[in-house]
Amino acid sequence: MLRRNREFVIGVTLLTIVLAIAASSIFAPYPSNDTFVVPPDVPPSWAYPLGTTSRGQDVYWQLSAAIRNTLLFGFTVALISRCLSLAIGLTAGYLGGFIDRVLMSINDTFIVIPLFPILVLFYFVMRDHMSWFLLALVMACLGWSYDARLIRSVALSLRAREFTDTARFSGMTTTQILLREHLPYVLPIVFSTTMNNINWSIGLEVTLSVLGFTNIDTPTIGVMIYWANQHTAMVAGIWWWIAFPVGLVAITFIGLFLLAVSMNEYIDPRSRLSRLRT
Amino acid sequence: MTLTIDNLRAYYISSGREVRAVDDVSLTVQTNEIYGIAGESSSGKTTLIKTIAGAARPPLRIHSGSIRFDFPNRTVAMQTATETELAEIRWKHLSYVMQGSMNVLNPVRRVRHSFIDFAYRHIGGAMPDFFTTIKDHLQRLQLQPEVLDAYPHELSGGMRQRVAIALATVCRPDFIIADEPTTALDVVVQKSVLTLIRDVQRALGSSMLFVTHDMAVHANLCDRLGIMYAGRLVEEGRTADLFRSPTHPYTRHLIASLPRIGAMATAPNLAGSPPNLANPPPGCRFHPRCPLAIARCREDVPAMVQTGDGHRVACFVTAP
Repeated sequence: MLRRNREFVIGVTLLTIVLAIAASSIFAPYPSNDTFVVPPDVPPSWAYPLGTTSRGQDVYWQLSAAIRNTLLFGFTVALISRCLSLAIGLTAGYLGGFIDRVLMSINDTFIVIPLFPILVLFYFVMRDHMSWFLLALVMACLGWSYDARLIRSVALSLRAREFTDTARFSGMTTTQILLREHLPYVLPIVFSTTMNNINWSIGLEVTLSVLGFTNIDTPTIGVMIYWANQHTAMVAGIWWWIAFPVGLVAITFIGLFLLAVSMNEYIDPRSRLSRLRT
Repeated sequence: MTLTIDNLRAYYISSGREVRAVDDVSLTVQTNEIYGIAGESSSGKTTLIKTIAGAARPPLRIHSGSIRFDFPNRTVAMQTATETELAEIRWKHLSYVMQGSMNVLNPVRRVRHSFIDFAYRHIGGAMPDFFTTIKDHLQRLQLQPEVLDAYPHELSGGMRQRVAIALATVCRPDFIIADEPTTALDVVVQKSVLTLIRDVQRALGSSMLFVTHDMAVHANLCDRLGIMYAGRLVEEGRTADLFRSPTHPYTRHLIASLPRIGAMATAPNLAGSPPNLANPPPGCRFHPRCPLAIARCREDVPAMVQTGDGHRVACFVTAP
């Protein structure tokens, strides 16, 4: 896979760079929320490779803490929403009938809900209690619906297979059938949609943060851009305060996207074949 | 170990429509016997089997009649059995090789896991002992123990079929139900699988209900044979008797249609097709296609009549 698929190689390389920057945050010389620890507004130089902010922070250390939190946020959302979509998709597909109709009408409701206004509204309601984890939880609750439909469609076909009948006949309970027989079948599909889900949640988090609709005490990429805007970094010519976080989050997006695309291709034999032909 | 079915009716009922897939079937399977059920597609074979195995799920419902299994130390009436009762007998006493049995293995899990998932709960004991039992059993079906670590797609069709049979017989069940277990195989593999089925059945001393539309398979394997047409049993007898002297007009045509070595003439063709079971013809269900039909066939339903030693036929004309 490493040799044949160029998307995969580029995706892995980009993500490794991003992860390395995030991991380096443990070597940060000062806590990420401290201000005026270095001279403000220094352009990129040997002493400060990515420059410093108007709040007296080193852009590199600020960036590494921010991307760590942002990635962590994406993973958390993906993890929780995957659990939800797997549980709901498999159950609805396997049981069918009334339960399927109830679960899928809830699912369709979530699909048509406009996410952004809901999240902004949520911020205004929770304002003082808004935390990083709470936002992740809310986004996970809003982000499971597309995949639940996808998983349900696979489960529907699995339900009619002989091995499901045999499993039922041998006395396996519904939970056992779902976890031991059907879950291994849908996991590869889930794996590829996870990347997309991480992308989606990071994108939404950055959007919300830039506008100041999240807890701005936890540094994330979005919060960093928010502070840069607050200090009119663009007008003041402090371009490095904006350009580096935007660049890094773009690299993250591209890396995850390429990984998702190549995973998809690896899982779906038809697209692998069409690749071989061209 | 015997199975007794009395006047079984099993219908598919959905939104007012009633498909009478099994209508008034009575039969007995004796200990240590292979009973074959023959009939063309949509004659209700699989429905009958599903109902007998207690695997009927809506819209399929048992309308009336009884299915009784007499196991050595207990009697189970399928039409009233509770889920726990079913769970106790299934696999251990009663096993079911499903239609398309090549696909009973989960494609994304190793064969070993299918054995653990399906059979372990019924055998129990320590895991190493369990696998010793399984390996011994696989040997009996001429399979290497290595198949346990393979994924289903790595095995050939014949091997998968044998694994499926191993899976169904590993708990030494008293009664085996097999629904077209060899249909997808070529004749050479089919022959060896059938021999294996017979050997395993003899070795375990189980009774067996074997369903297929392939008359050649029936001739080779079964002790007794029941012929189904449009949801009803029309004739039943010892396999040799049935092939030598078929009595019901449908059976006669069925046997006459089989290709024979050296035959130059085209086998006779029976006009028409099996009736729609949602709206079956009155009287004998075969009468629209029957060359011997008389007026009574259109009104009354013929009952199964004893015509000889263990031979039963449902026909007004040939077995009055």
